[in-house]
Amino acid sequence: MNSSMINAMASMHAMQRRLDVIADNIANLNTAGYKRKTASFEELLTTLKEQDERFAQAGRKMPLGFSIGWGARMTQVRLDLSQGPIQFTDNPYDLAIQGLALFEVIADGEGNRAYTRNGAFQARLNDAGDIVVTTADGHPVVVQEENGAEGPLLLPAGYDLQVDAWGRIRAVSGDGSDIVELGRLKLVEPVRPEALLAVADNLFAVADGVDPADVIRDVQPDAENDVRITQGALEQSNVRLETELTELLMVQRAYQLSARALSSADTMMSLANQLRA
Amino acid sequence: MLRGLYTAAAGMMTQQRRHDTVTNNISNLNTPGYKQVTSVGRSFPEMLLRLTGVEGDKPRRIGAVNTGVFAEESLSVHIQGDLYSTGRMSDFAILSDLQVPGVQFDGSGKAVDEDGNVVYQPQAFFTVRDADGGIRYTRNGAFLVNDEGYLVTNDGSFVLGTDNNPIQFPPGLGLDRLTLTGELRFVDENGADTGAQLLVTVVENPNRLVQEGYGKFRLNDDDADLARPAEAEDRIAVRQGHLERSNVDAAQAMVDLMSALRAYESNQRVIQFYDQSLNKAVNEVGKV
Repeated sequence: MNSSMINAMASMHAMQRRLDVIADNIANLNTAGYKRKTASFEELLTTLKEQDERFAQAGRKMPLGFSIGWGARMTQVRLDLSQGPIQFTDNPYDLAIQGLALFEVIADGEGNRAYTRNGAFQARLNDAGDIVVTTADGHPVVVQEENGAEGPLLLPAGYDLQVDAWGRIRAVSGDGSDIVELGRLKLVEPVRPEALLAVADNLFAVADGVDPADVIRDVQPDAENDVRITQGALEQSNVRLETELTELLMVQRAYQLSARALSSADTMMSLANQLRA
Repeated sequence: MLRGLYTAAAGMMTQQRRHDTVTNNISNLNTPGYKQVTSVGRSFPEMLLRLTGVEGDKPRRIGAVNTGVFAEESLSVHIQGDLYSTGRMSDFAILSDLQVPGVQFDGSGKAVDEDGNVVYQPQAFFTVRDADGGIRYTRNGAFLVNDEGYLVTNDGSFVLGTDNNPIQFPPGLGLDRLTLTGELRFVDENGADTGAQLLVTVVENPNRLVQEGYGKFRLNDDDADLARPAEAEDRIAVRQGHLERSNVDAAQAMVDLMSALRAYESNQRVIQFYDQSLNKAVNEVGKV
């Protein structure tokens, strides 16, 4: 069989998928907290055609055997967790993280946790009638109290949310006369970002069967590290259009070249068919 | 019998191999650490033709012919690829320009002395251990730390340290907090050594490496003495946050592709001509 054809087909498929990743990035150019994805490539398997001793002629440089490669594949999509620009919105429920950390939110009714960089939160009423601060999809934000207890961020009625750079949360009554300490925002640092799973819109989770302690660790903004929280601001996507378009160009040209190889392989087959014209 | 018919068929098969090789290079235009492969052809052994059945006792000598060609070897071109920054702390790229005393290498990585002896430039590789426990060499430094803390390649092979064991980081420590020093040691942000040191292997004659696929190379058992761990005085640097671009030249690949196709076509034409000759011999010579 014409292995050029299989080879070109396999790598065109891989490049198509890379194009999808770039398209995903460009589509999320304006999504708050979006982290750009990069595709990594790898060569496919190589088959070694056996050659016997008679092929060991003078001037040969390689060991016996003729190897044929079978194209390239996309191995994995990886997250680029670099900082995005911070944009001020003056909305008290918008929180932005500077530094390497993720907000922890409650993903489902069973209390499973998920992590996000998107700090566009909002206050909503839960079934019990409490005001709870959640993500746009309704996942409650987790707070850690002084004694270490964790729970959803509940705001007393008629109080405003106040978060300082260290992640400490206070509820301030409408006239400013009463201040309630609510604990600290629960933040985690992704130690092994590759082991995080993108589960939904801008939401990451630890895969089943993986010990969360291996993958993430709790982090508190302090003088030692450079993690800070800004209230009234949103982190923009860290996608840069010029990088994406350059990649797009490269992928497109490589795709074109593979397509040329494919049509050239097709011509070869046609030539073989016309041997007896 | 028309001898050249088989020669032309062999030519078609060789050009097909060459085309396959160039296609694979094109496929890996964006694969980090990929090394371009060239397919080398060799002519069949020479045959001496003699004229027999002539007057006199000795057959007359006509000369030597080669009755075909075959794709002999698929040679990787181990020249340095360009480095590019990815900003990911788990990406590594090798920059190497190894020297052999008293030898000046040319751009293709070989040196020929006055007596015609050829010395090939040694090359440096990351050392990995695949699932079967075999030692493999790769230039693709797109690594990651898996959930058990091991530094692994894309396909899960373990990256080895200088103690010949897989590099493993303690829980809670990721590559974002580690820096690779000039001695290829991993130190944390306070400068404390984690004890892990990356093993870079020097292969004295990279032409003896066999392509394994997935960006990996291996040495056959009888060539095992060609590999040695890199030493401090070797001209090798490993850059963290960078990857080595594939060294495939797109323009060259396109030209090779076209020339392989056209040479294939020429051989096909020759077969057609032989076919016409046979046609004449079979159908027209005996016609009354």
